[in-house]
Amino acid sequence: MSANIMSRTPSTATPVWNQFERKVDEVKTTKTDINHLVMDYLITNGYPGAAKRFAAEANIQLKTDLESIHERVEIRSAIYSGDIKLAIEKLNELNPECKANEINQILDQNQSLHFALLRLQLIELIRTCTSVPNGDIKPALEFATLQLAPRAPTNPQFLEDMERTLSLLIFPKDQLVPGLATLLDPGLRKEIAARVNEAILEHQGARKEARLRHLVKTRAFAENKAREAKKDIPDKLDIGLLSETHDSTHSRNNNHVNGSTNGNGDIVMTNNGDVDSMMS
Amino acid sequence: MTDLPPGGARGAPTYTSPGRRSSYASVVSGTAFSPPISNSLTNILNDSPSYPPSSSPDGRPRRTLSGADADMQSISISRNMTSADAVPPESRRYCAWAASDSEINFSVSESSSSFTPSYLIGSAYIEGLEEAQRAKLVAQHREANGSSTATSNPPLSTSSSNIHLPRMAPSHRGMTYDIIEKEPPLASDQPMPLPSQWSADDGKDVLEITGNAVRYTGPLHKTDHEAAAVRADHPMPAQCGIYYFEVRIEAKPYHGYVPPSAYFGPQRTPRFVYLQFAYKRRFSMVAIGFSSTKASLERLPGWETESWAYHGDDGKSFFGESQGQGRTYGPQFTVGDIIGCGVNFHTREAFFTKNGIFLGVAFTNIPDIPLFPSVGLKRQPPVYLVTNFGRDKFCFDIDKMVKPPLNEASLMQELVAQFLAHDGYVETARAFAEDVAAEAASLQSGNAAPLNQYEVEEDHDAIRRNRKYTFFLSEEDSKQCLEIRSAILDGNIDKALKLTTAHYESVLEAQPQIQFKLRCRKFIEMMRNVQDLTEAMNDSKAEANLRSRPASPNNENAIFDQEMELDGSENMGGVKLEPEDLKMDTDGDVPSPTVARFNELLTEAVQYGQRLRLDYNSGGEGVDLKMLDEVFSLVCYADPKSSIHGHYLDSEGRVAVAEELNSAILVSLGKSSEAALERLYRQTEVLVKEISDGGPGAFINVRNDLAWQRDSE
Repeated sequence: MSANIMSRTPSTATPVWNQFERKVDEVKTTKTDINHLVMDYLITNGYPGAAKRFAAEANIQLKTDLESIHERVEIRSAIYSGDIKLAIEKLNELNPECKANEINQILDQNQSLHFALLRLQLIELIRTCTSVPNGDIKPALEFATLQLAPRAPTNPQFLEDMERTLSLLIFPKDQLVPGLATLLDPGLRKEIAARVNEAILEHQGARKEARLRHLVKTRAFAENKAREAKKDIPDKLDIGLLSETHDSTHSRNNNHVNGSTNGNGDIVMTNNGDVDSMMS
Repeated sequence: MTDLPPGGARGAPTYTSPGRRSSYASVVSGTAFSPPISNSLTNILNDSPSYPPSSSPDGRPRRTLSGADADMQSISISRNMTSADAVPPESRRYCAWAASDSEINFSVSESSSSFTPSYLIGSAYIEGLEEAQRAKLVAQHREANGSSTATSNPPLSTSSSNIHLPRMAPSHRGMTYDIIEKEPPLASDQPMPLPSQWSADDGKDVLEITGNAVRYTGPLHKTDHEAAAVRADHPMPAQCGIYYFEVRIEAKPYHGYVPPSAYFGPQRTPRFVYLQFAYKRRFSMVAIGFSSTKASLERLPGWETESWAYHGDDGKSFFGESQGQGRTYGPQFTVGDIIGCGVNFHTREAFFTKNGIFLGVAFTNIPDIPLFPSVGLKRQPPVYLVTNFGRDKFCFDIDKMVKPPLNEASLMQELVAQFLAHDGYVETARAFAEDVAAEAASLQSGNAAPLNQYEVEEDHDAIRRNRKYTFFLSEEDSKQCLEIRSAILDGNIDKALKLTTAHYESVLEAQPQIQFKLRCRKFIEMMRNVQDLTEAMNDSKAEANLRSRPASPNNENAIFDQEMELDGSENMGGVKLEPEDLKMDTDGDVPSPTVARFNELLTEAVQYGQRLRLDYNSGGEGVDLKMLDEVFSLVCYADPKSSIHGHYLDSEGRVAVAEELNSAILVSLGKSSEAALERLYRQTEVLVKEISDGGPGAFINVRNDLAWQRDSE
């Protein structure tokens, strides 16, 4: 609908670029679709304030109740701030029909997630006791003995993870090898929080990842494949992020996008898996 | 380059030999160690994803050396002088500036911001700084035009343009002293300028300081252990998040002139190898770090209170409170090494790099006081420190540290933030920025040890970007766009038309199809009102039917007549009202005011429809006659909503019109009409199509990603 008014200035680059641009311009999108894509992202990735506003501003009916987003956000915040105990408690509260002493369904179904959470809790305990000189390492050891040790033998990966985690106690914090340093990196909290989010969504019967994420991955995948097949596509596919704000950041953002598409092997890999599963 | 023995006080008369001067000129004019212009600009503009540290395999940087083009320097001086003399005095300052900086080739218009370190490009801090400097430049222009004595009376402000004043007179060292002063910090609301060179009045007696090069020239009678330090002209601004600078340690040959090519590059002379060996044997007694003004400059930074530094001779890190007891930190360093020092004001930590390699955090809990980049050196072994405050590309990839490439999560965040701002969802954009900030904050609020600095910085950056997007449109335009949008979404097309005409008149003129659609929408909204009333009446009729039916024939007839009349007069485009249906609708115990209102609305709608028909009957640009007919046909149905054209009545249609108008306004404001997210979507679809022919893309349907309707949301 809005496509007809978008007369982009023709690019100054090669004909390939123009041809590709033209094709891109011909694609029809509707604002409604894009709006729903954004709404889906706001809900799935847990931005309740924005979701509420967006529902009003874009005139979209919120089909998910905000309360359920808040629950996920609270769990995410707990994990982000290192309070794994609270996060596990909240996860348990998500299913009121389960009694407190029963094993939580979500974590029960997903042993590796449960172990990852417990390990993160151990890491936080170790972080606490190593942050002060002569900190008491007893709580960490006790936790490892009681919670992780019984679960570790069920899976060789668990065992390895636990051993690596416990070696954090041995090395001084500022002289960690990169492999161990990543354990103390907040990136791990982020990663676990994302996994928990997905598990909750899946448990509630919703899509576990935002459509936007899928779209981003598809684009990365398609660009890679197209380049592999030596298709006529421009060297750089600019999507125009931030280009309006600063000329010299233009190329920077190219790199960002390219970096996340070509440079990051992980994304491409997950991509492959995802697309395959979509095909089957 | 010159072969004068070290020692002798600065400014001593014996030092005014031409060769000596030319060395200053070279340093000052930027030949000293700036790479050629093409490089320095490319560095800033083309930020390659990961550039290798700019050093040759043996770890030595491939850069033009301070001694470069010694014979050319006198030329550059004379050129400076002539160009400055040839122009009227009021513009002389700028000329001198431009000429002396010609190797760097920053245009005069940007002269006020002498340089922006690559890692700070686009940051909020630099924007603020540039703004302040632009204002200052304007003020200076005015001042210069007003009085011809402007050049001889430079304003004593902290504008970094002043910093370049010494370049006017490369051969006159005294003047350098006069002009450069230890400038007081600006008022807190004004951004602090970046450090750009060493403060020339530091270490007066023993150091030779020229711009960003320092060497020890203390008197001969002092012992070899004598040390001195120097601080930069400005403190490191905490607002920029991370501050980073690099120092290259160079050997100055003791005797005789060694051509610059001997230092670096493939054809090193055996003699150089010998020299290199001689210097390598002793690690440089050089300290690189930062200090407050409290720290004495008589000793190396790190040994004084409120100073922090990494020492080359033992590789230890020292800070004031450590009482000279260094902590084992990194490798030793010496001639040929490039040492970087960075302060993360977010985590209050400092780190160092050596030849582009990150050495880890050296200091934590750095107090919140003005801290100046500082270097200190001893007389022996003699070295020469050249500092890169960000004018040139850094050896260490600081850009990546400050702005790591977007990972998937932040890419999505940015896409959404930009979309919201772009499409004028101002409130949502604000709420989103808050949500993202809250998310980032919760990651930092851990009770535990300080978190990894890169992560924090990255999030910080994301928040900043979101804020920026919020004000992507000017405050005024965002407000207007928002108001117009909400008017349409409320069905108040008149208000939207009025606002658009008032503020963006050209939009409706240039894009008649939008005006057409808006007017059609107005008609539809009128029909919606009719429909709503019909439904209300049906409801009350149903209610009434439950009760006994005290039908009043009079009333009914009156209505009927009215409808007949309506039918007779409103015969438009073959569209006929159906009096029977209307009569049926009113066939209950409906209070007459409602009926009257109904008629009023219907009449209004039909009249508006007639006017539309009149205006657009002949077609014209952007007019969709089919749509017009379909919209008019709504009048024929008793229950237009369930008719085949009932979809026009959906409130969904408001969104489409609102978005289209919004896009048109954005285009008229010169903004890209398309959000990055939308572009990404289109590109994806084309890319998938490219690989579809029997390829891996054949099974992907991008549209399914957007198939929100079919999905249980």
